[in-house]
Parts: sequence; C-alpha cells; structure tokens
Amino acid sequence: MDPLTAIAASGLRARMESLDLMANNAANSSTNGYKADREFYSLYVAPEAQEAGSSSTMPLIESPWTDLTQGTLRTTGNPLDVALSGKGFFSVDGPAGTLYTRNGNFRLDSAGKLVTADGYPVRGASGAMTLKASLPIDIASDGSIQQGGQTVGQLSVADFPGAVGLLKQGSNYFRAVDPDLTPAAATGASVEQGKLEDSNAGSAQAAISVVGIMRQFEMLQKAAQIGNDMGKQAIEQVARVGS
Amino acid sequence: MTRALYSAASGMKAQETNIDNIANNLANANTVGYKMRRAQFQDLMYQSVLQPGTASGQQTIVPAGLQLGLGTRATSNEIVFTQGAFTQTGNPLDLVIQGNGFFQVQQPTGNLAYTRAGEFQLDKNGNIVDANGNPIQPQITIPPDAQAITIASDGTVSYTLPNQIAAQQAGQIQLANFQNPAGLNSLGNGLYLPTDASGDPTVGVPGSAEGMGTLLQGYTEQSNVSIVDEFINLIQAQRSYEANSKVVSAANDMYQQVNNLQR
Repeated sequence: MDPLTAIAASGLRARMESLDLMANNAANSSTNGYKADREFYSLYVAPEAQEAGSSSTMPLIESPWTDLTQGTLRTTGNPLDVALSGKGFFSVDGPAGTLYTRNGNFRLDSAGKLVTADGYPVRGASGAMTLKASLPIDIASDGSIQQGGQTVGQLSVADFPGAVGLLKQGSNYFRAVDPDLTPAAATGASVEQGKLEDSNAGSAQAAISVVGIMRQFEMLQKAAQIGNDMGKQAIEQVARVGS
Repeated sequence: MTRALYSAASGMKAQETNIDNIANNLANANTVGYKMRRAQFQDLMYQSVLQPGTASGQQTIVPAGLQLGLGTRATSNEIVFTQGAFTQTGNPLDLVIQGNGFFQVQQPTGNLAYTRAGEFQLDKNGNIVDANGNPIQPQITIPPDAQAITIASDGTVSYTLPNQIAAQQAGQIQLANFQNPAGLNSLGNGLYLPTDASGDPTVGVPGSAEGMGTLLQGYTEQSNVSIVDEFINLIQAQRSYEANSKVVSAANDMYQQVNNLQR
C-alpha cells in the first residue's frame, strides 16, 4: 500500500477507537463517580523511516488517560451518600484485594457494616466499620464518622500521586496496577456527607466530540480514496502508451 | 467500533430504566408514606487492548495501556428513606413517624408487613387497621362508644367513654426498625417486607432507646419525592439518551463510509 492510504487507514482505525472511548463516556454520563476516558495520540515512526526523512507517521492511541477532574456534587440528603471534594479515592475491600472508588453511595448491610452498593466493605482507618442504623450518622469533612457523640470510625481516603498506575475495574472501581503499591493518605480531599459526585463525562460534550470524530473520519476516508485513485491512475494511465 | 454501538445501546437502556424510575416517583408524588427510589448506574467491564506495565521496549514500559470500556448498566434503585413533609388532617387515627421506624401490620396471609403510611382506620370490630384493612400489630381494639381517641408520642392509645372522666388505655403501638431499610422489598400499597439484605426487624415502642421515631397524631407523612429534582433528573436522562443515540448514528455513518471505501 502506498503511504497515503496506509496512514489514512491507521487514522480511520484510531478514530474508531476514539468513538469507542467516547461511547463509553456518553453511556456513563449518569454513573456516580465515573471518570471520563480521554485519548492521547502519539505519532508512530518506524525505525527504518526515521533516518529516511519519510512522512510515514501513523497516529496511535498511545495512552488513553482517565480524566480525574472533579464531577459536580449533587445533594441527595441521604446520610450514607458521601462525596469527595478534591483528590482521592475511598478504599474498599474487594473480593480480590483493595479497590478504589469515587462513588460514595454507601449503605449498611444486615449486620450494620458500612458497604458499597456491591456489598464490599468500606475500609476505615482501622478496618471495616460497623454502625448503628438507629442512631443518626454524622460524617465530618475529614471522614470521621460520629454516632451519639462518639467517633465510631474514619473513612480512609487514599491518594495516588498523579493518579498513575490506576486501572479501571468496572462497576465504578479502580484498582492499582501494582498490588503492592500503598497509596498515601489524601491531604487535599474533604468528605461531603449527603452528596454524590456526578459523572464528569457530560452528554453535551459527548455530542460535540461525536461531530468532531465523524468529520475527521470523513476526511481520512477521502484521503484513503484519493490515495486509491492515485494508485489506480498510476497503473492505468502512466502505463498507457500514447497512440 | 461495534463496541461503540453496544456501549451507546447500554447507555440508552440505562436511561430508559432511569426514566421508568422517575415516572414512578412522579406518579407517587402524592402517595402518603411513599419513599422515592433512586436509580444507580455502574460502568461495565473494561477490555484491555494494551495492558499497562507491559514492556514497550527493552528499557521502557507502557505507562497507561489502552482500556476500552463497554458501557453502563443500571445496578439498583434503592429506596431513600428521608422524612417526608407532614400534612395536618385532624383525623385522630392519622399518624406520622418522626424519625426511624415502620408500623407493623398483619397481612391476610398472616405474615407481618411494614409500612410508613400511617393512615389508619377502624374496622367493623373496632380494630385499628391500615388503608388496606390489615390490622396493626400488636392488635389494638377501640370500643364502639369511645369518644376521644388520643395517641401519645410513645404510641400509647387511650380513649374516654361517655360519662367517664378517666381515660382508658387500649394498648401501645410498636414500631420496627431495620439495620438497612434500603434493602427492604417493596410489596406495593406502601408495604415493605424484610429481606436478607435489610436484616431482621428490631421492635420497640416509639421514642425508645433503640432510636425509634416518635408518633404525631392527626398528621400524615407526604411522599419524599421532590418534583423539582425529578424534573431535573428527567431532563438529564433525556439529554443523555439523546447523546447516546447520536453515538449510534455516528457509528452507523462511519460504517457506511468504510463500506464506501471500495468503489
């Protein structure tokens, strides 16, 4: 294939992958604590082409990165809804190790343990926390939980410097790529009771980026077609012997 | 790109569930004792195209990898047990629980059900029954010639008989509470049944040390649905549905162009 068609084809592929990312963002625009995926393109230059000064540079989605900007906090009035304002994650004891989440839609299980919507225990400063449903629950901005004038636990808010090494697990959870990595205690986050964090992927933004992706796709398709036409003309016309 | 089609479809389905839930909340905005439900969503699993941490060369590793998400799903619509507003009715058998707790009523099957709808009445035998005719537990009977029925904040039911000064006690209303009320099973008609998720009920008199609420006579508890919030949720759900359907048509257009590459 000639370079023009090859580059256009890899561009088409990259735009398809960006639509996949964007579709997931749009689908999760109502998911509490969801963080949007964004892509970062880099140019792939083959080692052989580097010296030759060729223009064969193909875009690759090198690192889709998770956009950890703060979502809007929505007041729910439910005392066991907690949101984080600022950097950090709630730590949760998942079935296969610690998970991290920004979705503070917690509840009590039948034994009074504070759990997530999936039933995973929420980790406090000293293990799982058991609360009494009959008493009012007050959660301070530092994450300490008070019932009847006594501190019964403290939510542990973990922070990853630069949020590197976090993988999306699904169901609003993140897990650390390196399981031995122990995150630092978050310093800048405040815990807000009675609120939930909305997804930071808005549907308006999704609608706009869909248009962008489609136009770029169209352009690349035209480029591929031009490359194709040029090849065709080279074969059909250059080789024609004038009469 | 089929991922985009299915992710967007999952988003549309999730928003349908969301709108179903909003519609039910709005329809019950005037139902006494109704507690709103709130839909919750989660992202689905991720497909790892490029695993982070793998070697991208002799010296370097891929710093972030490529993970493509596969959409969303509705996980739960939990019941939100915040207090509703009170309306004065003047009916002596209308009760509001101020705080935690549920009235216990006996269903025709003999099983206990739990309700926040305190619109009680008397049946032909003088038993206090709920709006569906289920007697309150423990059963309380008022004689037909009783004059003024008074229900104290601790649930004590008393009445006076004609030509008597001293009030007679008919019984005491008990309340039940659950460790996790959001895990109760909704039966309809304002009734709830306990499940493994909610835990077993703890029973006590109103205002007792177990954190039970107190009773207020002559009022009913309105639903805790906020119409403004529901309309805002409705707008958001509709816009999100629209955005997802745009993604479907974009994916469709892009497929079409791929098919047109070969002329």
